[in-house]
Amino acid sequence: MIRSIGDIARSDLLLRALVEAVVVGALGGVIGVHIVLRRLPFTVMALTHATFPGVVLAGILGLNLIAGSAAFGVVVVVLLWVVSRRRELDTSTATGVILAGGFATGVLLFSAQSGFDRDLTSYLVGSVLTVSTADVVATAVIASAVVGALVLIGGPLTFSAFDRIGAEAAGVPVVYLDLAVLLLIELALVVSVPTVGIILSVSLLVAPAATARLWVDRIGASMWLAALLGATAGAVGIVISQAAGTAAGATIAVVAGGGFALSVIGSPRHGLLARRRVAARSFAG
Amino acid sequence: MRHFFVEPFQYGFMQRALVVSLVIGAVGGIVGSYVVLRRISFFADTLTHTVFPGVAIAFVTGHSLWLGALVAGVASALLFSLATTNRRVDDDAAMAILLTTFFAVGVMVVSRVESYTNDLLVLLFGRVLTVDRADIVSTVAIGAVALCIVGALHKELVFRAFDPEGAEAAGYSPLLLDIALNLAVTLVVVAALQAVGTVLVIALLVTPAATSRLVTRGLGTMIAVGAAVGMAAAYLGLVISFSASVDHGVRLATGATIVVVLTVGFTLVAAATWLRRRPAVAA
Repeated sequence: MIRSIGDIARSDLLLRALVEAVVVGALGGVIGVHIVLRRLPFTVMALTHATFPGVVLAGILGLNLIAGSAAFGVVVVVLLWVVSRRRELDTSTATGVILAGGFATGVLLFSAQSGFDRDLTSYLVGSVLTVSTADVVATAVIASAVVGALVLIGGPLTFSAFDRIGAEAAGVPVVYLDLAVLLLIELALVVSVPTVGIILSVSLLVAPAATARLWVDRIGASMWLAALLGATAGAVGIVISQAAGTAAGATIAVVAGGGFALSVIGSPRHGLLARRRVAARSFAG
Repeated sequence: MRHFFVEPFQYGFMQRALVVSLVIGAVGGIVGSYVVLRRISFFADTLTHTVFPGVAIAFVTGHSLWLGALVAGVASALLFSLATTNRRVDDDAAMAILLTTFFAVGVMVVSRVESYTNDLLVLLFGRVLTVDRADIVSTVAIGAVALCIVGALHKELVFRAFDPEGAEAAGYSPLLLDIALNLAVTLVVVAALQAVGTVLVIALLVTPAATSRLVTRGLGTMIAVGAAVGMAAAYLGLVISFSASVDHGVRLATGATIVVVLTVGFTLVAAATWLRRRPAVAA
């Protein structure tokens, strides 16, 4: 049983898990700022679930699971993008249909193929302890690429998130930026899903960024803080999961969610307690 | 034909599965109509995940799964209201975080148990083929309560959906109406637990009503057609998954089959609507 941080440093397996969780957490924090800003959490949720058939198909065909999920993810991204521009149904309803239908298709394929087993569980809740050095390197490369792309298009991205019509008038290709963001999110999911699983990767892509928003106001600063928070959640989650013997991905998500909960209540400027104090003071004065 | 559509139900377990699926299909279609009208699909999805830790803890400690789900569902709805009183917190970010955190707590609880994988999958995907009489009674009772809630508040819920300011000005509390609808959604999630599991309930709440909305105009017809779509998909999903495994040796998870039938139906209807509207746009 591993009980201390020193033990983790001496175990290759845990060290790899730790590095992977930190990189994925930091990446989730950075891209999460744009997800929260553009109100895309439900879209991210749909993306993680609807990509599932791609993983199962890749498994059946004997292809690389990550490649399968990435390829299918692009299909889902385009579908979500097209649906969000149509008017027959509101976007949230259409997103819900895509989420449920895509996920069920994956479950169906999976049950037809071999019955439920361990692989499905590891896909659902992640298996960070089994990552190889090659996985960690691939994660780092993809994470750098995503962050690099975000830095490149960060200006117009932020502009269009705050003032869509103004950005459009200024000649920003708003519709294609929407697509670009979705594709970058999909890339981030490709590396985070094997680590924490489909449902909990949503946590890493939303919670650190939403937490950062409670502490700082500027977009640039919130990206740094969110990256730090995500990386911390990853590291702390791994350490706690080892000490307590709980599933690693789930523990990371609980840590990230706990940080958010504390910030909602206690953040010095935007917390519920601070606001109550301000309200009380203005009432008294 | 008879072999495909009727004969599966000579077995007791298929009859019980049929009753539970039809009830859930109908209740999901009806309550789901309000979900689609209010555009709270994401909230419904959040509830389907947040009931999971309640179910997991009840499962591990040997309490009633229904009770555990209900407590967790109500707790998450309250926490959501609390978190969004902070204006820096968007509704959808709060939902995503609640959803993942609650779900993660459930996974942590279940992961402490030995036969982890199997239990997790039953809770997530349901086992409609193993429901017993007591399950049927609970499903019907819980579904009936959900229907009573939306039935009693139909006028107010619709008013709130189409004209939130007007409804508030007319003296209806938006908070109380939201809580009532959230409670109804939670009840549907709890009722559907046994049949399709927590992960796929969202399909029963959104897809029948979304399909119905594409083809109907009036509200009453939308709700009725939504219920019919839900029931038809439940029935078709059941016979398809039965026939696949008995006649063709392919195991198809029943809950997932029902959902895929729903999705295919929605896709066909959406495509037909779209094709029919195109000439009008061109003219």
